[in-house]
Amino acid sequence: MKNNETESRGAPSRRTFLQRLTSGVIGLGAVLGSWPMFRALVPNVLYEPPKRVRLGSPGTFQNGMTYLEEHRVFLLRDGNSYSAVSGVCSHLGCTVKFAPFEQSRQLTVRDHEFEALGEFHCPCHGSKFHGDGTNYSGPAPRPLQWHHLEVSPKDGSLVVDLALGVERDFKLVV
Amino acid sequence: MSNFLLHWFPNRVSLKGMAWGYSFYLGTISAVLFLILTVTGIILMFLYVPSVERAYWGIKDLDFAISFGWLLRRVHRVAAHLMVAVVFLHMFRVFLTGAYKAGEVVKSARPFNWVLGVILLVLTLLLSFTGYLLPWDQLAFWAITVGTSIAAAIPLVGEEIRQFLLGGTVIGQPTLIRFYVLHCVFLPVLLTGIAVWHMWRIRKDGGLAITEELRVEARSREPAPPRSSKTYSVLGIATGTTVQVSDPTTLDDTNSAPSTPFMTVRLLLVTLATVAFCVILSLIFSAPLEEAANPEVTPNPAKAPWYFLGLQELVGYSALVGGVVVPGVVILGLGLIPFLDTEQDGIGRWFTNASGKNWGIIGAVFGVASSSLCVASAVLFPLRDILSGIESQLFFDVFNPATLLLLLFVGFYFLVLRVSGSKRVAAIATFCGFITAFVLMTYIGTALRGPNWDFYWPWQAWPEHPITF
Repeated sequence: MKNNETESRGAPSRRTFLQRLTSGVIGLGAVLGSWPMFRALVPNVLYEPPKRVRLGSPGTFQNGMTYLEEHRVFLLRDGNSYSAVSGVCSHLGCTVKFAPFEQSRQLTVRDHEFEALGEFHCPCHGSKFHGDGTNYSGPAPRPLQWHHLEVSPKDGSLVVDLALGVERDFKLVV
Repeated sequence: MSNFLLHWFPNRVSLKGMAWGYSFYLGTISAVLFLILTVTGIILMFLYVPSVERAYWGIKDLDFAISFGWLLRRVHRVAAHLMVAVVFLHMFRVFLTGAYKAGEVVKSARPFNWVLGVILLVLTLLLSFTGYLLPWDQLAFWAITVGTSIAAAIPLVGEEIRQFLLGGTVIGQPTLIRFYVLHCVFLPVLLTGIAVWHMWRIRKDGGLAITEELRVEARSREPAPPRSSKTYSVLGIATGTTVQVSDPTTLDDTNSAPSTPFMTVRLLLVTLATVAFCVILSLIFSAPLEEAANPEVTPNPAKAPWYFLGLQELVGYSALVGGVVVPGVVILGLGLIPFLDTEQDGIGRWFTNASGKNWGIIGAVFGVASSSLCVASAVLFPLRDILSGIESQLFFDVFNPATLLLLLFVGFYFLVLRVSGSKRVAAIATFCGFITAFVLMTYIGTALRGPNWDFYWPWQAWPEHPITF
């Protein structure tokens, strides 16, 4: 009877209170206990290949498109200007293939005029990209990423930064 | 042993529930396949090292250096593929016989058990998917590349989820060890627990859903005096009585048989047949192993496991809709079926009645037509090529064949609901459509998509080298 009286006043009975307290403590304990387990699985240190890599002396690359497969990056040389575009499809991460034209063409894509040597095709879901990396067909949601290039002051070799994206008109003139 | 069997199964089992043609024992077969996978998997764990340097060569050793290694690997692989297929078939059977309904005589927990079944389906797919990476060959590497990138299509947190799965930014040693532990410990333990729960619920609900018919019959019979029985209480936590106890008149000598030996012998037969079938298939088909994983070269075409190829086709239209929205809607929709369809007649009857069967056929035809339309529109009218002026990704995520397919199905459900006036019939029609669409999309992804994911008819040869121009 006493319980009912306290219930009617809006305060929980002793039993309800203890039930809530118990489930609260269990819930809190579960969260506190699982947090370290979850957090331990989020890596703090990555033992992955470096993102900033030396490609070699600029003069060693031929004019036109060179695929550097160990870095999944295409290096484009036009005389003494260099640029690098990622070979990783922006859709689901497959490596795109370069399909060269028989003759280079002057193209204007989204207000950007450039000389296209060919285009990029992705084997996984058929995405296609213009020579400047702009996606034009298939499911790819974004253009291919262009990467920052610099010349190492130490030995004059080309250095590409795979973690640093740049605009598609970025060119390094050596 | 006999003591264990006697406690595993109820004293008597209904003849209808035991009939081969009712359940096809698909649930039993799934459980047996899981048992085969566990046994062969444990042996394989002794022989496989989850390291990037050694994984591929460990599989090579299984094929060429270890006595019967090839057999263990093949049986494990065959059983894994069969399990995915049989679990799907089991779901089709349970749905089409309306076995997820609670019934009106005793409100059983079958709707909840259906939800457990959907979770088991997802776990089965995840187990198969995580096992896919372990051989560390080209097929494995690129299937996982595609699969984990689908996770990255989730808005806002997608990239974080992908990196959590990979244990880094690229597929490497952390990914392999993660998938290995998920495949060998985490997922099997979880699946075992839920599968036990799933089977225990069938026992608690008084057998397969066809028993519901017997209950209705029993209700119209002269009530027999209740047998003296026991009230069950598990460790004092669960209270109440089992359905069998409160419903003593359902199973009598005319409609049921003692589960031992009649049920146990059947289960033994199914187990033997399943094991034999797996071994025979393993002797016929060898388990493929491609070249060692090479992050630098993507095979062309790069394909996911067969049961994901329908999904890969949709992902080819939009990663967001095909990879996240459609599977999300399908899994959610499957889980919600018992709560949307609350009509309680025709439990245990295929297609409920003649009208249900007709609508099922219409649904099946609709599934073929809508998915054909979806693929045809993608092949013939690639939107991004036609509307090349539009740069917004959101536009193509909203307007694409996968969205079209989803909307067609939603529209079809409501159309059938309106015409037939029955939620059950609408569910049957939509589900049959889902089955045929799933099968057709899987076939198209498997057989009709070639290099660069271009469309090829079965009689068209694939180019030896990708097209260049």
